Amino acid sequence: MDAFKQFGDNYLIFDGAMGTMLQDAGLEAGGLPEVYNIEHGEVVLDIHKKYVAAGCDVITTNTFQANELKLKDCGYSPEEIITAGVKLAKQSGASFVALDMGPLGQLMEPMGTLTFDEAYDMYKRQILAGAAAGADILLFETMSDLLEVKAGVLAANENTDLPVFVTMTYQDDGRTFVGCEPRGAAVTLSGLGVDALGVNCSLGPAELKGIVEELSRYSRVPIMVQPNAGLPKIKDGRTVYDITIDEFERYMIEIADITGVRVLGGCCGTTPEFISAIKKLTAGKKPSAPAPLKVCAVTSGIKTVVLDDGVSVIGERINPTGKKKLKEKLRALDFDYIIGEAISQKQNGADILDVNCGLPEIDEPAVIARAVKEIQAAVDLPLQIDSSDPAAIESAIRKYNGKPIINSVNGKPESLAAILPIAKKYGAVVIGLCLDKNGIPETAEGRYKIAEYIVGEAAKYGLPKEDIIIDSLVLTASAQQAQVMETLNTIKLVKQRLGIKTVLGVSNVSFGLPARPLLNGVFLAAAFGAGLDAAIINPMSVDAMNSVNAFKVINNQDRDAENYTAIYSGYNTEREKLNTSAAPQNSGTGGDLKSLIIDGRKSEAESLTAKTLETEPPLSVIDDYFIPALDVVGDRYERGEIFLPQLIRSAETVKAGFELIKDKMSASSESGAGTSKGRIVIATVEGDIHDIGKNIVRMLLENYGYDVIDLGKDVPIQKVVDTVVENDIKLVGLSALMTTTVKSMKDTIAALKAAGSDAKVIVGGAVLNEEYVDFVGADYYAKDARASVKIANEFFGHA
Amino acid sequence: MNSIDFKNGRYKPERSEILRYMGYSGQKTDENIDGLIDRCIDEMIDIVRPRYTYSVFDIKIDTDKSGSPCISLIGANLKLTGNDIYEHLRECRKCAVMAVTLGIAADNAIRVAQSSDMTKAVIYDACATELVEKACDFVEDEIKALAESEGRGTNFRFSPGYGDLPIDVQPALINTLDAGRKAGITVTPSMLMTPSKSVTAVIGFTTLLFKNRKKRSKCDICSMRGNCAFRKRGTTCGRV
Repeated sequence: MDAFKQFGDNYLIFDGAMGTMLQDAGLEAGGLPEVYNIEHGEVVLDIHKKYVAAGCDVITTNTFQANELKLKDCGYSPEEIITAGVKLAKQSGASFVALDMGPLGQLMEPMGTLTFDEAYDMYKRQILAGAAAGADILLFETMSDLLEVKAGVLAANENTDLPVFVTMTYQDDGRTFVGCEPRGAAVTLSGLGVDALGVNCSLGPAELKGIVEELSRYSRVPIMVQPNAGLPKIKDGRTVYDITIDEFERYMIEIADITGVRVLGGCCGTTPEFISAIKKLTAGKKPSAPAPLKVCAVTSGIKTVVLDDGVSVIGERINPTGKKKLKEKLRALDFDYIIGEAISQKQNGADILDVNCGLPEIDEPAVIARAVKEIQAAVDLPLQIDSSDPAAIESAIRKYNGKPIINSVNGKPESLAAILPIAKKYGAVVIGLCLDKNGIPETAEGRYKIAEYIVGEAAKYGLPKEDIIIDSLVLTASAQQAQVMETLNTIKLVKQRLGIKTVLGVSNVSFGLPARPLLNGVFLAAAFGAGLDAAIINPMSVDAMNSVNAFKVINNQDRDAENYTAIYSGYNTEREKLNTSAAPQNSGTGGDLKSLIIDGRKSEAESLTAKTLETEPPLSVIDDYFIPALDVVGDRYERGEIFLPQLIRSAETVKAGFELIKDKMSASSESGAGTSKGRIVIATVEGDIHDIGKNIVRMLLENYGYDVIDLGKDVPIQKVVDTVVENDIKLVGLSALMTTTVKSMKDTIAALKAAGSDAKVIVGGAVLNEEYVDFVGADYYAKDARASVKIANEFFGHA
Repeated sequence: MNSIDFKNGRYKPERSEILRYMGYSGQKTDENIDGLIDRCIDEMIDIVRPRYTYSVFDIKIDTDKSGSPCISLIGANLKLTGNDIYEHLRECRKCAVMAVTLGIAADNAIRVAQSSDMTKAVIYDACATELVEKACDFVEDEIKALAESEGRGTNFRFSPGYGDLPIDVQPALINTLDAGRKAGITVTPSMLMTPSKSVTAVIGFTTLLFKNRKKRSKCDICSMRGNCAFRKRGTTCGRV
């Protein structure tokens, strides 16, 4: 690594703890250590000097929390604290100074309220101040969320040329607080081009060894390790670190010997004596270069998929091509349907999800970025960003949490020039299509040549071949039958000669022929036989998944056929059941649609709704069955005869029925407006992130036929106002759970009035009651979802 | 950190409590709902990653900015204001400040369930609420044992937002405990803790005599008193 040239070829030794040393020097618990840079500079300098004397090469500035959120009330700006901090570190006589940056202290969306752009801007401010003051290294440490790190690393790379080191903090379950695992971090951060990555804090060196070994298997850059002085323990009501220096040294010798470990130091509880021990144990030793496994790995923020571990399924359903319903949802920016598709594909065995939002009439870069964010909030699978528009690809992967796949680049120079720099910058895996300006070559050799060319071009941009997956392209058997085997032969050539991973979109093979699932299944099996690593298929297709599940037994991937047995143990009986089963709605206790809804029997109610829709118009299904049943359930709930889960179960049953009605109406190209009883905007107010109650209200309102525009949680006041005004909304529902966010509710209502809206406002949420209505300036208070419906019915005259 | 055994013994979540959080008051349920609740309890126990930290401080009676009496924690940059926390601690010389969380995985599971199965989401939410109570019991027991080893008793868990202890003290409590680093707890600008299934509390170390004194109902000073769904049904939230 070039960045390391300036540090020499020995181990690079960082200092030890600052916080615990300052506490020993009189800093109160909960006080801001950073303020000492200005108010007690001599204390900080003294600690720095002790570490230099102990033999460290790099002093870390006392600026862990020097961001605008944490410093808000201390009277100093990040620039003041950082400038002073870097100055003290330089005065210590250290060879190098690392600008220390920790987590920003807020969780990123969707777990908390911090946005990617906010995180980027805050880190940028720290980085610019640190660089201006003369820091040599930018260090992000004690990190937990890969997305927050990514914001910081991009802020670093886009605003300075300084080397970037990142260490994350893992708990005793081997994951960070937000669930990131070491190999996912190693893969993602190596891709983002950091100069060193590793681990600090939380655990002692004994517990960290396994984590460092895991990092060593996946990191392409030198590894950094800064353990605590042992596991933190609470003793007599205080946190203590009680490892002896001898023990520390013993474990650190083992850690220093792990392949790729290059940077060592200490975290909480360590003192200059610990650093002396590190200096001693590394004397005369040379660190080894990183030697990671040569694998193709992709990640979300939580989950890593290594394509070398066996065949994988890439779910293809989030792609509007040929899907009328998805097109409508994308145009309406209704992401719930996409989230549903993501969840069901995961449940059916997808390992990775393809995401394509390509429609000519939408703002694809904005829509795909939003889709990625929504999907990542709901499923933990890695994603494959699929677009023909480089701007859309960059927009989607910039804020993607983890290391994604880009689908795709091809052998045309303009494609390579547009896509490869993006893949390099953000550290993505890229699918290379075997086609160029002359189209798809007819022979396997011809296609292989393009694959080889793509790999060579990628190398020029610094992308290793492990990060390229080749798609040898499936042609239709009905039109180009002779070509089908060439696809499989290409896979063999790519595997043999390039030794890299392959992918295919399978279902194209059967286009225009009968019994498509049959042909797809056989072709997929043949492709696996040829060495295919990942299949882009519909995970909801039983035949395709049968081939996948069976092959995973044959290639020894599904050990002891555990998964296979779990899925197929009832295979024969299930088949018989399918063949002999009568119409399901006539089974069980029978009952009309109303009572099925009242009892919350979702699948039976769904089939009966479908049957009823054959003979009765959608509106009467709603008015004659859904609403009377919901009224019964609602009355029972009010009288305390049923409790919340039972109410919701009935509401979910109606929701499923409503989907059928919407499908039917869109199929007969009736406009959905016919079923709408009125439009309502709902939101959990700005600052509040508790939204389960609001979501229940939404479901119930939709059950009753209302058209609900759900703005989500933590909704900025202006967004509520704009939506209400633009859509001429007459009824608004606002939810707040905390006393602290009731004010935000009041402000939202005031802003609505100021904007000239005459919309009436319903408020609800745990801390509210009837008395708050006047205080916040609302028109109605709803104590629960049922009450919201009653108010809406009255308001729109449906009572 | 010590792991908490939620599957057996004292910290096993109570089904009746979970039902109560969902407004249950003796309604007729059915086996589908009952089975779902049992599954959700087991799943949530596997999902959560409870973490906690606490510190014990000597305390002194002090005055706040307005000159009213308050409690200062010695060695910490923290004043606890309001009449109720003053009453809670004024006879104590020490107190423990604790922070407990189930971790973000609980929030994630509840959020994801809302996209696919709202019934489950509501049950998950109630299960997590009960589990964080049990986690608090676990930590409280550890603190109690520490107090007893010093010949002291303890009073109850007093949390920000309860009585007139301002919720704005939350960030200071979290910082004092370094609970961001130790347990992964953060506070949003509107004073919500994330992960959301997190609790902070202050427990006073009392004389053993005090321990046996009859406690007054905590509802008396609860800010939710006038508006409590539990009280309307004639029960309490269980934190009494």
